[in-house]
Amino acid sequence: MARPCIAETGAWSMLLFVGKRLFQSLFVLFGLSLLIFFIARVMPGDPARAALGFLATDEQVERLRDEMHLNDPFPVQYYHWLRALLHGDLGRSSYTKRPVTEDLVQYLPATFELILFATLISAVVGQVTGVLAGYFRNSWFDGLSRVVSYLGIATPSFVVAILLLFVFSQVLRLAPGVGRLPIMMTAPPRITGFMTIDGLLAGRPDIAWTAIKHMVLPAISLAVIHIAQEGRITRTSIVENMQKDYITIHKVHGIRTSKLVFKYLLKPSIIPTVTVMGLDFAFLMSNAFLVEMVYMWPGFSRYAVTAMLNKDLNAIVAVVLVIGLTFALVNLLVDIVIMGLDPTVRLRRGGG
Amino acid sequence: MVLAVSLLAAFAAAGEVDNVAVINGYPVIIADPAAASDWYDTEAMYNLYSPLVYPDPAGGVRAHLATSWEAVGGDYAHWRFNLREGVKFHSGHEMTAEDVAFSMTRFITMGKGNSGPLGQVTAEIIDPYTVDFLLDKPSAIFPDTLALFFVVEKELVSANVDPDGSYGENGDYGENWLATHDAGTGPYMMTSHIPGQRLDATRFADYFEGWSNEGWAEDEVPIEQLVFIMESDYTTLMTLLRSGDLDLEINGGWTLPQLEDIDEDPALNLASVWAQNVTVWMNTQVPPTDDEHFRKAILYAFDYEGIVGPWEDFGNGETGILLPNMPGYVPIEPQPRQQNLDRAAEELALSKYANNLRDVTAVFHFCGGLDFEEDIGLQLQADMAALGVNVEVAGPPWPEYSAECASPESTPNMTIFLFAPQAAPTHDYYTYSMFAPNGLGWIFEAHWYFEDQDIIDLLDATRAEPDPAARLALYEQVQPLIADRALAFYPYQKPTLFAHQAYIVGPSETIVFVGPSENMHKWRINLELKEELRGS
Repeated sequence: MARPCIAETGAWSMLLFVGKRLFQSLFVLFGLSLLIFFIARVMPGDPARAALGFLATDEQVERLRDEMHLNDPFPVQYYHWLRALLHGDLGRSSYTKRPVTEDLVQYLPATFELILFATLISAVVGQVTGVLAGYFRNSWFDGLSRVVSYLGIATPSFVVAILLLFVFSQVLRLAPGVGRLPIMMTAPPRITGFMTIDGLLAGRPDIAWTAIKHMVLPAISLAVIHIAQEGRITRTSIVENMQKDYITIHKVHGIRTSKLVFKYLLKPSIIPTVTVMGLDFAFLMSNAFLVEMVYMWPGFSRYAVTAMLNKDLNAIVAVVLVIGLTFALVNLLVDIVIMGLDPTVRLRRGGG
Repeated sequence: MVLAVSLLAAFAAAGEVDNVAVINGYPVIIADPAAASDWYDTEAMYNLYSPLVYPDPAGGVRAHLATSWEAVGGDYAHWRFNLREGVKFHSGHEMTAEDVAFSMTRFITMGKGNSGPLGQVTAEIIDPYTVDFLLDKPSAIFPDTLALFFVVEKELVSANVDPDGSYGENGDYGENWLATHDAGTGPYMMTSHIPGQRLDATRFADYFEGWSNEGWAEDEVPIEQLVFIMESDYTTLMTLLRSGDLDLEINGGWTLPQLEDIDEDPALNLASVWAQNVTVWMNTQVPPTDDEHFRKAILYAFDYEGIVGPWEDFGNGETGILLPNMPGYVPIEPQPRQQNLDRAAEELALSKYANNLRDVTAVFHFCGGLDFEEDIGLQLQADMAALGVNVEVAGPPWPEYSAECASPESTPNMTIFLFAPQAAPTHDYYTYSMFAPNGLGWIFEAHWYFEDQDIIDLLDATRAEPDPAARLALYEQVQPLIADRALAFYPYQKPTLFAHQAYIVGPSETIVFVGPSENMHKWRINLELKEELRGS
């Protein structure tokens, strides 16, 4: 009878934990919205003039300022925005002239798909490299991975992007050029916005495969720096854990190397890496801009920077909130994963 | 038999390549002609719609949707336009005066895009092919201001109005629908549009100007399908151009090494089809550029040859208040266009800042991200340093930069802008609109000088003069007067170099004044050459 009770307590405490974190996130997002709403409005530049263009008269600009409530006091402007938000309306982009929600639906999936792919690459390559370098520390592989990692960390993503595009697309012609699909290829009907999934749902695996091929170079460009970082962190963690007593005892007892690594060493060693991976994912949301530029990727990050440069107030606030929400959710997910990986954390949460 | 086989082979060969032109342009955001403004949007406008009158390389405008026009009553506040018969909209309906009157009322009521220079205009239908425009104030150059007035189909737009709009009983006036659809008479029909990302269009066979092969070689056929992409990274564009994925690039933001590469590639060509006037305004209301001698010192200190130098082979050259390609252009000081530091020092000595030059700083702002504008600022900084004057150079982003020019107090000493015939297709834009108290203001008049009555009288006379030749003479008279006030300096005329595949054939290989050269009705494709150069 005791076991289900403990399990129920664990599940309940987990639910409580998630609920509490989500509730806290609401406050964070509220604070963030206030902050960015204020910053966006005090930034130099007239959004109405930016929206109307060169030949608009002063009267036309003034009329648009009124329509956008820009002549109202700041709290009134925020009230209008918050009221619309509660009705699911993030306002209209003064740059694209469309509802911001439509823009987000258009651009978010492209970036999500790309950075998920980049995260997958960095997780696999980074951790395998880190584990091998840590286990065979001070070997030639460890030395080589160190040098390559430093190069990866020191090289900006857009430089890698241009280099890969030039070598693999322009010179060797091994990879496709830019965009999510070839310019003249018709995209499948939009269901999820993920080109690979939509291709499969449309019964067109060829489109899905083409989309994957188009993602390879930009995803590697984004992943390189994170492969390097995550590889180094995993390596340090492995080295540290290998010196712990329980590993020594397992070794003395003659446990097989593969069992030692996969069962006893890997799990505690990847905890710091998982934390960093979560942050990296959210970081990529806002920092994939230059890679998206180089690869003509119609993504969220590029949209975000365009919004900033054009003082597109509604889009700026929406973009910051989406990034904030991503950080909050990814961090929550990371905490849950860590609870699964680390019994001490799980027990602490369980104990309240 | 042999002939038949050869013909079949030729058709088969021609069928192997796509008759598609992939074009890179600025982001087309607004595809509604009543809301489109910058020359960005004119890329779409001239392909999807037709203006009432068309900018004429000889100056002024020529017949297009309107075949002729005249002022009624002699005070230039009432104009009558006779319309071309048989013009078809993409829907197949014929264009009539109702459509033109609706388009004008919509244009003025919405008050967006290029409607500013027109003032208040009321449209009256006289008969199916005649429309009158009544102006709130007389203008002898009214027809010239219509070069950016495009006609939409009344019935189609009215059927797609969202009643929940900001134009009262007109709802949204069809603005949202026109963002992703077209209702025009232009040579191409929109098939899809993702604002800021991609616009697809297909050839309109019933285009009123027709698709005659006259003047073109036998192999040069109309382009059937256009795909406008909107990429701003020129490394990427070079990759696309080299791989044959891009056929034509019409923004011309290439670096010098890239231009040299394109020039050397036998599969690629460069076309210099229109130019921009690079203009550096000098704010006459804030120190130290409030002093005319100080401004003249800047004119003479600037190293024109140094800045043009490496670009000379690609067409950068002299310019002034008007572009040299415009009829009536008058060269302005300094002549010859060379740095003259002695003369600059003389002017500085005459300025009220002569005794405290070390304490003086002139601020030069450019639009952040535009390297060639920064180069001009840095060149001037070095030139003025030789005279002991400090020039501060900075490039704030566009919204901040353009907002600075809202008032004389907030406008920096020097601001640099490009004025292109795409968005400013007539003489009036470069004269009255830029130097008259009732001009366009803002970035068009960031010199803030409106004190010289002789200049104002002459500019008023240009708008009152109905005879084009006499008007041109007035433009010639006013240029030296404006130049003598040293309100701006003009580093160079910057041609826009269209890089394109050799199989895409352009309208001209020389600079012309008028800009809608991205009207793809004026371009052709040589499918045989495409097959030869790029395969399928």
